[in-house]
Amino acid sequence: MAFSYRLLDDVALADLAFEVAGDSFPDVVQGATDALIETMADPVTVGATWSQSIHLEVTDPADLLFRWLSELVYWKDAASVVFSRAVLDLREERGVWKLDATLVGAPVDRIAQVLRADVKGVTKHLYDVKGDGGRWTARVVVDV
Amino acid sequence: MQVKQIAEALWEIAPSEKPGMLVPARIYGTPEILQSMDGGVFEQVTNVACLPGIRRYALCMPDGHWGYGFPIGGVAAFDARSGVISPGGVGYDINCGMRLIRTDLTLDEVQPRLERLMTELFRRIPAGVGAGGFVKLDRSALEQVMVTGSRWCVEQGFGWHRDVERIEAGGCLAGADPEKVSDHAVSRGIHQLGTLGSGNHYLEVQVVSNDRMFDPHAAAVMGITGHDQVVVMIHCGSRGFGHQVASDYLTVFEKAMRRYGIAVNDQQLACAPFSSPEGQDYFAAMNCAANMAFANRQVIMHQVREAFATVFGRSAEALGMELVYDVAHNIAKVERYPEGELVVHRKGATRALGPGSPDVPSCYREIGQPVICGGSMETGSYLLVGTDAAMRETFGSTMHGSGRTMSRAQAKKSVRGDRLQQQMQQRGILVKAVSMSGLAEEAGLAYKNISDVVESVDRAGITKKVAELRPIGNIKG
Repeated sequence: MAFSYRLLDDVALADLAFEVAGDSFPDVVQGATDALIETMADPVTVGATWSQSIHLEVTDPADLLFRWLSELVYWKDAASVVFSRAVLDLREERGVWKLDATLVGAPVDRIAQVLRADVKGVTKHLYDVKGDGGRWTARVVVDV
Repeated sequence: MQVKQIAEALWEIAPSEKPGMLVPARIYGTPEILQSMDGGVFEQVTNVACLPGIRRYALCMPDGHWGYGFPIGGVAAFDARSGVISPGGVGYDINCGMRLIRTDLTLDEVQPRLERLMTELFRRIPAGVGAGGFVKLDRSALEQVMVTGSRWCVEQGFGWHRDVERIEAGGCLAGADPEKVSDHAVSRGIHQLGTLGSGNHYLEVQVVSNDRMFDPHAAAVMGITGHDQVVVMIHCGSRGFGHQVASDYLTVFEKAMRRYGIAVNDQQLACAPFSSPEGQDYFAAMNCAANMAFANRQVIMHQVREAFATVFGRSAEALGMELVYDVAHNIAKVERYPEGELVVHRKGATRALGPGSPDVPSCYREIGQPVICGGSMETGSYLLVGTDAAMRETFGSTMHGSGRTMSRAQAKKSVRGDRLQQQMQQRGILVKAVSMSGLAEEAGLAYKNISDVVESVDRAGITKKVAELRPIGNIKG
């Protein structure tokens, strides 16, 4: 697995954007997941007392990444948690991308955790997921 | 794209400048403000001018900057029968808005207890990522909040009955239908009543000095007396609840557009005919989120009153903590103009009704509707009033704040949150923040100078300055 991500300075004035590159689509999903988790809180400061299993089946890779990242935002608010990591099992079977994920984190604790941005939505603005052989990229703008 | 100056603080882009434009685009601002706007504004306001059923102009206020679909600062009105409604014209944070509370306290009385006051406010008003409020709601109670807004809060003891008279639409928009709101939105919103959030949301303790009063009569009508009077400003919205409503209906509208044969220049301008089932469903859900936002600011105001009462040892009534006004700046509303009923979208723009309007509270009808504009946490904010010119030119709308000129990522590279906090304290502004990186993102250098922005709307005549409000304490998520 190999991926990298970087914050984009000039894409979203009032919000946050990041770009992920990886060797495969699962790598890009992992990279985007890590980027979003780190946008909300420093994962090193977040424990592992809460977890949630999530299953998604989607044909279009771009839709899958969008729905998965939206799940992170949803659980952040619905369970009042931030995340330390996400364990992903993503595979393609007969043209359908299947994701089995375990989201791990802890209830928000503003003393113990280094909290960052309260991401409120994943947007379609300049949203882009591309794959070409061994090179995949994704660009995501999140509303904060 | 040719941008032509047509008045001292008004610029126009003709329909011939972009294929599909149905009306001209108009941007308010002095030449300096126009030059400081990012290029996205011109692209986006002309995209809005292409939407079906738009009337007169697509407008952008001087605090405009790039947004999702519509620019922030965008105003557009669509025919209620033949036009569209667009979540991108409202924004993700439905009924993000401003609330201003006056007090009888002066700077001399507050300064010695400012540290204790800010600590008490920070303790009572949850802010930042994932923070839950002290009001525990079940689904049934949240549905009542969705339908009755601030009125629910007052009935529960979170406010005074006279508060609702000084809130846009009485703090309760009609037509809210909880059945049009998803379970996901309910789950996100059920813990969030009475929370500030993060990003550019804040609670600020401010001072009004005599030398920054521009219309003492209008100020006096609003209970603003100057003489270093202390006031409190609240800026927040419908939290994750409103964002989920917006996200849900953007997906619905993407599919609906194909069915209705609507093409847009930007996916985030997804829209549907206002009269369609999808359009009506979104409007009903949006009103639920708007009412939740009115309630959110009402509960926060209750906590502000409690904090002041605790710190100063007198009741909020005895401290004169009356609500001045509460106004939305992310909303779509059906309003009547000479063309008929229009769906007026204001995204990062404030309603600014002129004197005599029946929708202005009777106590303010003589002076026009109060307009509350928040600046950056370093520079100050403004209280203004709506005018007849706004009714004629901008569908009764004006600016809402400073407007960003620098991205969050750039701001964090330019200044450290802890250093900024120290610098502000040295300048007499005490800041309590959940996130130091979030604080850096909101540094004053990331925003236009609000005085320049206010000067634009004042010169254009679409709102008039009443008073400048200088920060002495700020709470950020």
